[in-house]
Amino acid sequence: MSVPEIVPPRLGAVLRAAEAAIRALPPAWPLEATVAVDPFLGRSGESLARAAARLARVAGVRTTLERGWYLERIERGEILPGDLEAARAACPEPAAPASLEALLAAARMPSPPPAALPSVAELAARASGFDWPELVRERLGAWAAAFFDRGQALWSLPPGAEPWASWRAWASRDLVPEIQGLAGFCAFVAELPDRPERALLQVADALGVPDAGLETWFESLLFGIAGWAQLARLPGWEAERRGEEDGTALALLAARAAFEQAIFEVAGQGIATEWAEIAARHAEPVEPTSAQIVDSILQEAAERAFQRRLAAALPARASSPVERPALQAVFCIDVRSEPFRRALDSLDPGIETAGFAGFFGLPVAHRGCASDVEERRLPVLLDPALTSRSPAPDEADRRTAARARRAWRRFEKAAVSCFAFVEAAGLLYASKLAAGALGRPCPTAVEPAPVFDPPLPLAQKIATARAVLRAMSMGDRFARLVLLIGHAAKVTNNPHASALACGACGGHGGAESARLLAALLRDPEVRAGLAAEGLPIPEDTLFLAGLHDTTSDRVELFLDDVGPAHAEDVARARRWLERAGALARAERALRLPRAASGDALLARGGDWAEVRPEWGLAGCAAFLAAPRARTRGLALSGRAFLHEYDWRKDEGFSTLELVLTAPVVVASWISLQYYGSVVAPGPFGAGNKLLHNVVGGIGVLEGNGGDLRVGLPWQSVHDGERLVHEPLRLTVLVEAPVAAVRDVLARHEELRRRFDSRWLHLLLLDETGAIARRYVGGLRFAPEEATEAGLAAAA
Amino acid sequence: MTLDLVPLLAPLAPALAGLAGLARPGRRPHPIPQLAEAAAAASFLLAIATAVLLVARGPATIGIGEGVPLLALSRDVLAVAMLLLVSFVGWIVIRYARVQLDGESREGAFAGWLSLTLAAVLLLVQAGSLAVLLAAWVAVGLGLGRLLLFYPERPQAQRAARQARLAARIADLTLLLAVLLLALGYGTGSIGAITAAARAGDAPVEALLAAPLLAVAALVRTAQLPFHGWVLRVMEAPTPVSAFLHAGIVNIGGFLLLRFADVVALAPGAPAALVLVGGLTALLASLVLLTQPAVKTALAWSTVAQMGFMMLECGFGLWPLALLHLLAHSLYKAHAFLSAGSAVEAVAAQRRPGPVAVPEARTVVMAGTLALLVYGGLVLLTGAHTKSPQALAMGGVLVLGVAYLLAQGMAGAAPSALARRTTLASVLAVLGYLGFQGLATMLGAGVLPPTPPPTTLDGALLVLVVLSFAGVALAQALLPRWAHHPAATGLRVHLANGLYLDALLDRLVGDLRAPRAA
Repeated sequence: MSVPEIVPPRLGAVLRAAEAAIRALPPAWPLEATVAVDPFLGRSGESLARAAARLARVAGVRTTLERGWYLERIERGEILPGDLEAARAACPEPAAPASLEALLAAARMPSPPPAALPSVAELAARASGFDWPELVRERLGAWAAAFFDRGQALWSLPPGAEPWASWRAWASRDLVPEIQGLAGFCAFVAELPDRPERALLQVADALGVPDAGLETWFESLLFGIAGWAQLARLPGWEAERRGEEDGTALALLAARAAFEQAIFEVAGQGIATEWAEIAARHAEPVEPTSAQIVDSILQEAAERAFQRRLAAALPARASSPVERPALQAVFCIDVRSEPFRRALDSLDPGIETAGFAGFFGLPVAHRGCASDVEERRLPVLLDPALTSRSPAPDEADRRTAARARRAWRRFEKAAVSCFAFVEAAGLLYASKLAAGALGRPCPTAVEPAPVFDPPLPLAQKIATARAVLRAMSMGDRFARLVLLIGHAAKVTNNPHASALACGACGGHGGAESARLLAALLRDPEVRAGLAAEGLPIPEDTLFLAGLHDTTSDRVELFLDDVGPAHAEDVARARRWLERAGALARAERALRLPRAASGDALLARGGDWAEVRPEWGLAGCAAFLAAPRARTRGLALSGRAFLHEYDWRKDEGFSTLELVLTAPVVVASWISLQYYGSVVAPGPFGAGNKLLHNVVGGIGVLEGNGGDLRVGLPWQSVHDGERLVHEPLRLTVLVEAPVAAVRDVLARHEELRRRFDSRWLHLLLLDETGAIARRYVGGLRFAPEEATEAGLAAAA
Repeated sequence: MTLDLVPLLAPLAPALAGLAGLARPGRRPHPIPQLAEAAAAASFLLAIATAVLLVARGPATIGIGEGVPLLALSRDVLAVAMLLLVSFVGWIVIRYARVQLDGESREGAFAGWLSLTLAAVLLLVQAGSLAVLLAAWVAVGLGLGRLLLFYPERPQAQRAARQARLAARIADLTLLLAVLLLALGYGTGSIGAITAAARAGDAPVEALLAAPLLAVAALVRTAQLPFHGWVLRVMEAPTPVSAFLHAGIVNIGGFLLLRFADVVALAPGAPAALVLVGGLTALLASLVLLTQPAVKTALAWSTVAQMGFMMLECGFGLWPLALLHLLAHSLYKAHAFLSAGSAVEAVAAQRRPGPVAVPEARTVVMAGTLALLVYGGLVLLTGAHTKSPQALAMGGVLVLGVAYLLAQGMAGAAPSALARRTTLASVLAVLGYLGFQGLATMLGAGVLPPTPPPTTLDGALLVLVVLSFAGVALAQALLPRWAHHPAATGLRVHLANGLYLDALLDRLVGDLRAPRAA
């Protein structure tokens, strides 16, 4: 008897629900070059309160801090009644408190800790006392670690395997679940359908989950292995940008679901009734509780309090610009540039600094010297359009040396030969231990100057140079020396080193991009071409690249092939940079534990035991796109991304569009990554650095294993006694005409959605640089009352 | 006499710092972490002073009391080598912890327990009498238990500590029995007197019973199969604990055997058991190691394998080699753990210079033959007649390991420049091995017993070991050629799971009971 293959009617519903659950997950980048990701990326159309309701159900986490944190700030007068009232009035939820008094009363009630709907594994654990969820996490983790491994184990899994086939090949041979009591699991896996969505359907039917409950049920399963799920989401996220599909996350979801069915069969009828209730509750619509609504209002009030303080400071007292600056220095918009720029600006009225995304507008895929690995040194939301590499005369020798080192490392790790290694070389590690303990930095070869490969045609060089200068709002004044300064963090023995690198450079250092642009702008042919197009650069202007080490606040300049004509300018710039570094270090040392003085920071990056080499972007809260004059001299405490932008020079507002769609989005991802790592460190934070166990060269486990930990480590947002990052959603301030901003938002729906749901705030500055308008959603702007008036109204 | 008391200060300094730490267990207990580091550094200086004393005045035992309850410290090459090692690693680790644990809520307690554990190990390695040995041995286990539970709220840490406790108690009990038997058999508590009597051939029946017990205590303490599970799980404690454990504690079993080498050699079965268990552990664990994607877990498996190799050397009576292995492994592994955070960069660096040139079967055999020939030549030049068959065979095994380095450069796809570099590295590795081996033999002369002439059993074991290691070395060198064959899929899964020994033990001790809270 043959049955024709038919598509079961529920398969479509299962696939749709699985896709929705997977799309709600943020992707996680491997630590080799990690970038900050907004953990609420999949909820950009939902308000904070609704995201809170959903995450409470599927992950059991809060999306705001505990009530006490807000109440403390209200009591201390940091959050004023005006802030609370404004936040309350702006809350889109119908169930929001009707008055300030009602809000304050509700705020003083406790906000119950969220409890996720339990999985079958959790129900079975409660019934039997056996830790099923741990077994599932540990087993899925064991497979996922091997599957995603990029070269830690010498014996890898077969490369290029389909994830679902790979998991089944593993799980149908893995005896651990059977030893631990999941009888017949290998056979069960072997008999699963050969497509993950069909396996999901089988489990959904076996567990009787109704169609309407599938989505949050799937989400909760994914959050049970949140870290691996976010890593598995990455290939799909990238494929979607290319218009393709990828089944990695789906396979992981199906594998997790398979355990549910297997455990359900073992746990038997004991949990059947309970599970039926849970399955039914998954089908209920997700609605925020009144406590969650109050939480979200308190959060917004904290953000408005920050904005109020910022409004009081803006704009800076205008200083009269000098005719020709002595030095211009362009830094990355990264918040860590702010204290350094402030220090540099303060040294001489002839110094001008500007902020621009650290990849300097060059979307390059770069290959280092003697390296085959292509590094995408640009924001992950963009695609590389240029390729570059760093050639050297001795490149072949460097490559051979690297291969010999690799052969030695394989000798160190391989079976049998590892014994020979220890007896032949183990004693020599005494000197390596001493060197590590004394923090002796190991010398690194200077990377040769990068070049475009293939070389750019002249016309493209000129067009690129022109576009970048325009985007930097540069063009009418050039100093004799113009520095283009990227940044990187020189730290050692730190798995999260790339989280301290340049986000605009895709988690790499910014030196190569800066050197490429400087060389482009030094090119006489390019200069001639620019002059011909009406953008003359003075003959005596030299562009020089540099690298700001954010850990030590030292700046290295790359002289590359520069002649001696500017020796004096360079020497003077070096002195200024040195002094600015000392000032910035002294300021930063106050916030860092174990830093008695600014000079203590010089060696900090070289300390192999240091878990807080620097605070990274902790504290980031604002993004300003305006001329430097608006902020020059203002102490913004390293909390603001500063982007040079002068709308008067922006023909057709194309630069405005670029700023809002690229750097603003990158900055909001960073701010929300910090936010998520603080408020929900379980699924969105990387845990305790003291327990980190690097897995596969891509991420960290906390302790022995199980789930991957993504996001930021606890030590990166907490100094042991208090949070160093106040979780605030990013406030974007733009000096531009309302119509132009509205126009950009109208054209970019995803961006608008993020502003509408208030995952970031948008404020506009008027001609004087004062905050004048607030974006209130739906392409509407409301005049921002002078804050005193607002206060009076609320009082 | 007063100068002879200097070594006693080595454990005393960290002990006092440890007590100070326990008195101020909380966050940022200035100046406890600095004090702990200074005390550990002082121990290292005192260890150097002890080495000077040893050279100037020769070996000695100082003690109070007499007979079985004698309390004594001994000063000889073994004790001084261990003192230097443990105090050096201890200083590095405590210095590391001072920075890394800054801001932890139990920072002071951590410094305290780490210092106390260091003090116990420093006492243990210079124990001159059974009472001191036993007390320090038990204290090390207790201190380690506290360190493993530094995060007592983590269920995984509780599981790790439970398994460690089980292993420690088994080792404690067997050592207690062994010590009682030795005291009964020789009527003294002096370790020096016991080993001297044993070397002279005095073998009371109690000693014959004690020898296998010592071997069991050592095997359990050095995490040999099937008691390796606890070492795999100590990642639940902060990195400095792992570093100190792998560098200063897990090898204490090896030290025990070295200390009682003369006694262990008395009982014919004990060395054979060491060879079998150690050799099997070394082979299996080094295969499991190949499949481990998490760096600290891989390092733990590597420790299990290296300890197995050390036990193997003990079993063959290659005592100086075992000592060399102990010291070299400790330094290497301490560094590997403390720098484990570099694993992301290390993996990235490996991918940069392009694909690996995989050696062909022919090349591997050629490299192996070449390496053995060169080794044979070197051995002949340096005087083969002075070496025991055991030493020659183990040297052969290690040279087969070096052949893997050679083969990587000789692969068809490898450029000749690479071949030159790997050949040079291979020669240096062999010379380094022979040099350190000579040094260890020289230092150990007189303290450690000479390798006995091989018995028939030894001969059979030697053949078994050489063949099995050679087989694994060959398979390993050809790994990329067969690792992804469908037939190897199951083998890889089982190896990655450590052949389930750990899971079976888990099941046995009910380790996955749900956390009690809930």
